[in-house]
Amino acid sequence: MSTAAVNQKLWEQNATPKHRIQWCPGCGDFGVLNALKAALARLELMPHDVLLVGGIGCSGQIRNYLNGNAFHGTHGGALAYALGAKMANPALTVIALAGDGDTLAIGIENFVHVCRRDPAVTLLIMNNGVYGLTKGQKSPTHGLGMPQGVSTEEDPPFVDPLRLALVCGASFVAQTFSGDPKHSADVLVEALRHPGFAVINDFSPCVTYNKFNTYDWYKEHVEHLPKDHDPADMQAAWRLLDEFDRKGKLPLGVVYRHPRQRTAHQRLPLWDEELADVDPEPMLRLFR
Amino acid sequence: MVVNNLKLLVGGVQLRDGVTTVTDILGKMFVRAGLHVLAMEKGYASTIYGAHQYDPMVVSATPPLSYGDDRSDILVALEFDTNPDAPIQPNRDTILRHGKNLVDGGVLLYDSTTGTVDTGDLERRGVKVFPLPARQIALRELKREVVKNTVVTGALLRLLEFDMDLALFRQYLEERFGRKGKDIVELNLEAARRGRAVIEEVLRTNGWHDVGYRLVPQPTTGRAVLLNGNDALSMGAILAGCRFYAGYPITPASAILEFMEAHLPRYGGRALQGQNERESIRAAIGAALAGVRSAVGSSGPGISLKVEEFGVAGVTETPVVIIDTQRAGPSTGMPTKPEQGDLAMAVFAGHGEIPRIVLAAGTIEECYTLAFEAFDLADKYQCPVFLLSDLTLADGRRDVPEEFFLKNRRPVVRHGLLREADLRQDGYRRYQITESGISPRNVPGVPGGIFKSSGSEHDEQGMITTDPPKRKAMVEKRMRKMQTYLKEDAKPPLVFGTPDGAVLLVGWGSTRLPLLDAQARLRAEGLETCVVHFTHLWPFPTHLVRPLLQRGKDIIVVEQNYAGQLADLIQQECLLPTRRILKYNGRPFYTSDITGGVRQLLTNGTRVVRVGDRAPAVVLETVPEGD
Repeated sequence: MSTAAVNQKLWEQNATPKHRIQWCPGCGDFGVLNALKAALARLELMPHDVLLVGGIGCSGQIRNYLNGNAFHGTHGGALAYALGAKMANPALTVIALAGDGDTLAIGIENFVHVCRRDPAVTLLIMNNGVYGLTKGQKSPTHGLGMPQGVSTEEDPPFVDPLRLALVCGASFVAQTFSGDPKHSADVLVEALRHPGFAVINDFSPCVTYNKFNTYDWYKEHVEHLPKDHDPADMQAAWRLLDEFDRKGKLPLGVVYRHPRQRTAHQRLPLWDEELADVDPEPMLRLFR
Repeated sequence: MVVNNLKLLVGGVQLRDGVTTVTDILGKMFVRAGLHVLAMEKGYASTIYGAHQYDPMVVSATPPLSYGDDRSDILVALEFDTNPDAPIQPNRDTILRHGKNLVDGGVLLYDSTTGTVDTGDLERRGVKVFPLPARQIALRELKREVVKNTVVTGALLRLLEFDMDLALFRQYLEERFGRKGKDIVELNLEAARRGRAVIEEVLRTNGWHDVGYRLVPQPTTGRAVLLNGNDALSMGAILAGCRFYAGYPITPASAILEFMEAHLPRYGGRALQGQNERESIRAAIGAALAGVRSAVGSSGPGISLKVEEFGVAGVTETPVVIIDTQRAGPSTGMPTKPEQGDLAMAVFAGHGEIPRIVLAAGTIEECYTLAFEAFDLADKYQCPVFLLSDLTLADGRRDVPEEFFLKNRRPVVRHGLLREADLRQDGYRRYQITESGISPRNVPGVPGGIFKSSGSEHDEQGMITTDPPKRKAMVEKRMRKMQTYLKEDAKPPLVFGTPDGAVLLVGWGSTRLPLLDAQARLRAEGLETCVVHFTHLWPFPTHLVRPLLQRGKDIIVVEQNYAGQLADLIQQECLLPTRRILKYNGRPFYTSDITGGVRQLLTNGTRVVRVGDRAPAVVLETVPEGD
């Protein structure tokens, strides 16, 4: 077997067996899972060095379908747990895997501020426009590609995660489509190599509840970024998004990537011996 | 002449007059001279500028237990008129508020920069009045307004006949401001001398020999520090191995965050000011997940917002210490006023059933020692551990020998944290069912110990499941930890006195010292009581408490809340009837509240006395009580 295949096997150990995966047949999340395994294998990361922080909902289940340490807590909390874990141990590869509702509705408070904080965490938004696990209620990204009603009460415009991430200061913003796992894997590899907060909006069709944004619909509407796009140019990123809007197309690729090099943080002391011999003198001096 | 026993109250306009600058300098000087200082009621407002602020301080030869009541011997009013023609003179605020509580024959010192105040009423009660144009001296004569507090300090030192040659004061200034240059030290000394001269002049004019109070340095056995509960707790947390702390600004917990931000980096740790309460606790859980000893601190309203994460920490078995410096609620309540209203929240908040441990500090020293215990218990039992403090402890200051901190330090032991050698390849189960309920814990990054962890119900491998036998076994495993805790780590309440046949005065939190003070005073009146004080509140150590409380004659629970939350817990767990003395007017418990309450309860047979000014002293329960 090739090295890549061996690595791929590594990511399938300790995970829920394939036949017990609880996504609907045809779910876009299968594509995301394959892309994620491929990307992790390609980067030759070891599963024990990876922390997968899941969200709530169908998307969050992905954490149990591949090898690697996994955690999930409350709805909308994935990014904040990821932030704490990364601050504690920067050597970990921390990936937050959350849905669109999870990230952009209840979790938007964490999303906005983690963008600003820019930790070296990768966020993969598995975006299907609905709350799948609670049977199809509208999420903040619902309505993609649909004509907007006059009344914003009934159908407010959808949240665009790319624009929001750019506004909030995310240093890596990309978009991909789970129907194109090769592209997804490429983007993920780039995101995981990025030394800051990376946001990937991954269109992952919900075959059960979103009858509008289907695989066919996406295939018609996605378009790869032009080869000459410079992701280091923030203005170009905004122009590009506007251009694709006018064309009625969804861009696939790395829209923006901050060129800065960052210094790594230290791992926080953990073991007994690292915590011994602490001198209280500087603290006591304050109170004399 | 009263020597080494007085209560001083300094009042003024918040932020403008530097009330705590004066009390901080004086307090530290008194402690350096071997005297004991207790300043347990820092009166401040939740507005920033312009409100009234006061800081009472007891100074005595032996460690004082509590204030006793709201009387003071010496009143210092730092306000000056910004507009002397105003119909209500603002510089009388402190005098109006606290003058009535000044003892007959006491002392009043006030800033007379913009004119003298009519103090006839006080003088008729024998109060010696000292007008001191502190701000004017600072501004006009010394050209530096900032030294006005030093002028006051110098005046007070003369009043108390303490450090007459300013040698101690010079030493203090040199240590504090030495780096800033000799000029600063000399300027402050000059300011103190000017203040002293004014007092000399007033004494001479009135023919007073002294003011009736004096402080005399005492020999010390070792150095002591003056600090508050937040300081002690922060220091304890760092020495206990806490290396990640998250918080969101809230009174009175913010001071812990500020301390951690300043000091954690020195010890290799990091503090995070979360962008909201939920981000704080989630980040703390994330850091704990990565293996770091981690804590989050807040006060009542912020703790409410974190409730959903209690369950996350509980079911994922992630150790995190949750510090609650309680203040008066509900909602935003009174941010700068004390109350013990969060016990029920710490014990019960959250949906489902959460294994958790609740500790409450009773003194500033315990804020330090319980911090060690909280982190150890969190590590050992892998569950959220609540460390309750309250505003009285958080802001109240007291002198503690430095030796105490060194002696009560415990080495950090990371209970049950697995290392690479402990992990067999592929065989690791994060939520392994064990007899103790405690599963071996590893952290991400250690080869051979990959784990799945979930806030949803899971099996031993951490995989999500709703299988009834697995669910049942997992619930029981988690709750079994609490049984193990009760066997191995639960502590009975502290007992002061003999419980047999005595009236038991039961409390928790900052009421410890007032209770002990009340016990001493009741003893002097011929009533022997036994003080029972809780530090380990949940899981409730029924097996240790019930036999103890049964020995007493009458259980009187003293708490700073309306319902009597500890009393309810005792009734629920021990099936013993309790009587209650409750206070919730935003002031701390005074000894007089307790002694008065006990007398009322014992003479008129009521079950509940609600004390504090402007509230009915006695509430007769209208609902008939069964035994």
